[in-house]
Amino acid sequence: MDFSFVPLAFGQLLSPLTIGYALAALGLAVHFGFTGLLNFGQAGFMAVGGYAFAITTTEFGWPLWASILATVLGSVLFALLLGIPTLRLRADYLSIVTIAAAEIVRYTVKTPAISSFTGGSDGINGSSITFDKLDPLPDITYGFGVLRFTNDDLWIAIVGWIVVILAAFLVRQLMRSPWGRIVKGIREDEDAVRSLGKNVTWYKMQSLILGGVLGGLATVIVIIPTSLQPDNYGTQTTFFLYTIVLLGGATTVFGPIIGSIIFWFVLSITDGLLTLLVANHLIPLTSIQQGPIRFILVGIALMLLVIFRPQGIFGNKREAHFSV
Amino acid sequence: MVKARTGRMRLTRWVLGLLALAFAVSALAVGPAGSASAAPTPVPTPAQTAAAYPQSIGIWVRLASDKSNVAGVSVLITGPKGFSQTVTTDKGGRALVGVPYVGDYKVKIDVASTPGGKLYPTTGVAPRIVAVDKGDPGIPAFFLLSPTIPNPSSGGSGGSGGSNQPTTSPSLGDLIFPRLATGLIFGLLIALASVGVSLIYGTTGLNNFAHGELVTFGALVGYTVSGLWGMPGWLGILLAVLLGGAFGWVQDLGLWKPLRKRRIALIPLMIVSIGLSLAVRYIFQIAYGPDLLVTPSDSSSFLNLGPVHLRFTDVTSPIIAIVVLLVVAYVMLRTRIGKATRAVADNGALASASGINVERVIRFVWVLGGALAGLSGALIGYYQPVSWQTGASVLLLIFASVTLGGLGTAFGALVGSLIISVLVDESTIVIPSNMKLVAALLVMIIILIFRPQGILGRRDRIG
Amino acid sequence: MSDATIPATQLQVGEPGPGVPKVDPILIADGVRRSFGGMTAVDVAHVEIPRGKITALIGPNGAGKTTFFNLLTGFDRPDSGTWSLDGESLSHVPAYRVARKGMVRTFQLTKALSLLSVMENMRLGATGQGGERFGAALFTPLWRKREADITAQAEELLARFKLDAKKDDYAASLSGGQRKLLEMARALMSKPRLVMLDEPMAGVNPALTQSLLGHVLDLKNDGTTVLFVEHDMHMVQTIADWVIVMAEGKIVAEGYPSVVMQDQAVIDAYLGAHHDTDLGSLTGQLEVAKDLGDSFLVEELTDEIGEENTDAK
Repeated sequence: MDFSFVPLAFGQLLSPLTIGYALAALGLAVHFGFTGLLNFGQAGFMAVGGYAFAITTTEFGWPLWASILATVLGSVLFALLLGIPTLRLRADYLSIVTIAAAEIVRYTVKTPAISSFTGGSDGINGSSITFDKLDPLPDITYGFGVLRFTNDDLWIAIVGWIVVILAAFLVRQLMRSPWGRIVKGIREDEDAVRSLGKNVTWYKMQSLILGGVLGGLATVIVIIPTSLQPDNYGTQTTFFLYTIVLLGGATTVFGPIIGSIIFWFVLSITDGLLTLLVANHLIPLTSIQQGPIRFILVGIALMLLVIFRPQGIFGNKREAHFSV
Repeated sequence: MVKARTGRMRLTRWVLGLLALAFAVSALAVGPAGSASAAPTPVPTPAQTAAAYPQSIGIWVRLASDKSNVAGVSVLITGPKGFSQTVTTDKGGRALVGVPYVGDYKVKIDVASTPGGKLYPTTGVAPRIVAVDKGDPGIPAFFLLSPTIPNPSSGGSGGSGGSNQPTTSPSLGDLIFPRLATGLIFGLLIALASVGVSLIYGTTGLNNFAHGELVTFGALVGYTVSGLWGMPGWLGILLAVLLGGAFGWVQDLGLWKPLRKRRIALIPLMIVSIGLSLAVRYIFQIAYGPDLLVTPSDSSSFLNLGPVHLRFTDVTSPIIAIVVLLVVAYVMLRTRIGKATRAVADNGALASASGINVERVIRFVWVLGGALAGLSGALIGYYQPVSWQTGASVLLLIFASVTLGGLGTAFGALVGSLIISVLVDESTIVIPSNMKLVAALLVMIIILIFRPQGILGRRDRIG
Repeated sequence: MSDATIPATQLQVGEPGPGVPKVDPILIADGVRRSFGGMTAVDVAHVEIPRGKITALIGPNGAGKTTFFNLLTGFDRPDSGTWSLDGESLSHVPAYRVARKGMVRTFQLTKALSLLSVMENMRLGATGQGGERFGAALFTPLWRKREADITAQAEELLARFKLDAKKDDYAASLSGGQRKLLEMARALMSKPRLVMLDEPMAGVNPALTQSLLGHVLDLKNDGTTVLFVEHDMHMVQTIADWVIVMAEGKIVAEGYPSVVMQDQAVIDAYLGAHHDTDLGSLTGQLEVAKDLGDSFLVEELTDEIGEENTDAK
């Protein structure tokens, strides 16, 4: 039997998905965990950021800094579009509007009418050209055992993790400041905060923008070593992010990051284990039926987490009480 | 502490038991899981030259009058990068053309090759444009032939096309009325599910993201009974209703009731429903495979009203839906349990204080919601092919309908469903059909901005 | 107890009565109307609140007191009407700006932020914090000084309200009465001109009642104007300088506490035909409301009962 999936699972630590989802989950924690915004459209922010980067890089040939600026501006714009009409509505309305907006983005970029820009259902390849030009690492293969990385893989992983850590410290600083105090107050009772003279809607908007920009930048990390596929930004992506955020602890800064690592590690291990079991006919499933298992596991994990450990692994039990 | 722990263990058992039940029902329906992927009948398309390419166009030529298949018609397909191919329909009136590139293809009927050489496509002699996306097999290009040259200005049914329009373009009526019909039919089908969502929201405050899976469940039960087991359709529909109600009841008993007892707030509950939706949806996929499933029915035209051609099921399904919705309305307005339900939805605390058994009402609402969703799914199975993610794909339409009508108002859910569904279908006149959901969602967002309480909701309830 | 007498210098100009002008008003409201569906909840033609005094707003449940509060503080929008604080118009001003202008309110159902510590609750009440801006928040030195100042101010207030021992605890750990105190103390962090207390006595255990009364009187002694909604007649009699009575959305009587309490209009407004019903309990009031066929009141009361039930949980 081939047990190489175990060391391969450790490779998830450097995979673009782990790093990108850590950043996007951090953004979602800013929305959901700290501010109490029920954003079910984080995948939409990710898509907007990703397309802004990919189109400006591959179609317009912009330099890296300009493409990143476009990513940030795209996410800010999306947050404004979404926030201006909905932030004054009730939490469950926000959830429906954000999930709808994310789907609108996905359907729109797939439409053939603009596929010369967006690549339609194919998405966009080659977003790495400007980033990999800066790669200082010697062009050899890195790694040990069964883990192998090209210099470009390693380059984006290093930069990606640095971005994630910087973002985490930024969020931590904010949450310990008077700004964070207001935002946490809003999570609990926005009328109370309003009665103390704080412009609640504007703070919610700032939070939506901050988390959205983190989501947009997350996609840049994901698509540089891979490609931009519109269907990777459907509703299930948002639900994966919720699982990650709740796994690590929605009201913590480092929880979502650890959550992402655990999430992708466990998925990788279970996928490997299932493949092994299916290949050796130890469970009555075909290899086609094996694919959905990970989603079933995520679904069950999400339910059990919310019910039994809403504070996540690192969260404070008292703070995990989500308000309605 | 001990009590809490046993409570927790009981709940875990319930959750796992519930999933096991969903799994068992799926497995029972299909038989041994291992053979499942072979069992589903994919959309019937002849396997011809298509295999070479991942995407293909499925051509189907029939007579407009009796919907009989027309063989031997030659069809010219031209597309990007000089692609050009001529195919001839088989005795099922079909031909499948594999196409190498993504993009727009023109599909043109050679009128001379039709029987007698004098039959024209009802949509006009000009080529049909078919948009091909990557990896889409069997994109439909269906034609109906009639002996008259289509001419909108010569007094087609209800159309008043401009005289400057080329004779081949369909009249405005030909564009609007068929879409209105399909929109209303589908609207009635999803209204069944929307009413359930609305009732559950009204009485428990839960936005049930797993409601789509109740719809899928009904669709799969219907498909299993009449598609796999070959039993009569009415039995499939009846079983979908009964088992759907049972599924709703089990869900409430096994999951939502214990969570209510633990006083878990609404937002965590909403996330639980998302987890449940993911888990159950993919259990369905394991059991039924990833393909589209077709519940057998008579696809010939049953009723023709001008440009609107309806199959037998297109006529009966909405009738069933209307009758059931009327019965639901009667139950809500006239019976004890219905009045109690409305009282709980209006004000749970007051209802409870005045002696209404709120738990009983909530159980009733879950059973009713499950049964209606089951019926909705089974009927959708007769309207279009279904799959493991049918419910998930209509869930946003359901939410849009419920929001449009006003969260928590059952009648609003019905009106919202009809509006959304007609809008989705009519929107394809002006926007590409793959954007039609976008139109519905945009309308929902716009409505929320200007009238957050929905069309029929009461303003004062909005915090 | 009922020794509240008419003071030597009058508060009003002319005979006390609904809408009577004041010698030195701080808040003046005109033609404020708000209706829900067909029901008129608030219809106040004219009212003035005397500066530096304690004014009680009383009336049976459903009289529109809380709605009037919500309107004045920007938490609800009127169909029509204008009002101003020290001559500065506050109509159509959003709630947070009303608070910044020095008119701060508390809520009937206490809104202590239970997942923040008592001290963080207090700090949240302070104004002029640079660290509340996104950019400045990133650099601690920019707001460290102000943070220290407001912490000192908060400690002083907490000591006065006897909450200093609890300052690092989550507000969730406070009793109902302590939360009321915290909410009041937090409102004072911004040094408001006018404090509006919505049922400060509701749910407060009798042991804390006296100290709460003392704190309200302290506010007056510091020169702050107080307007409060209350059902507890004992409190009204003891500390109010002026009483305004609302019924069915209108102001039906106004005057000095000792006088107003004898007014037949007030007694009628409160008791209606139900002399025997226990109006102290919500269910008793609900009975009355049902008999009167007042659907708006029934709805409001049942909401309240519901809220009480959820609170009890």
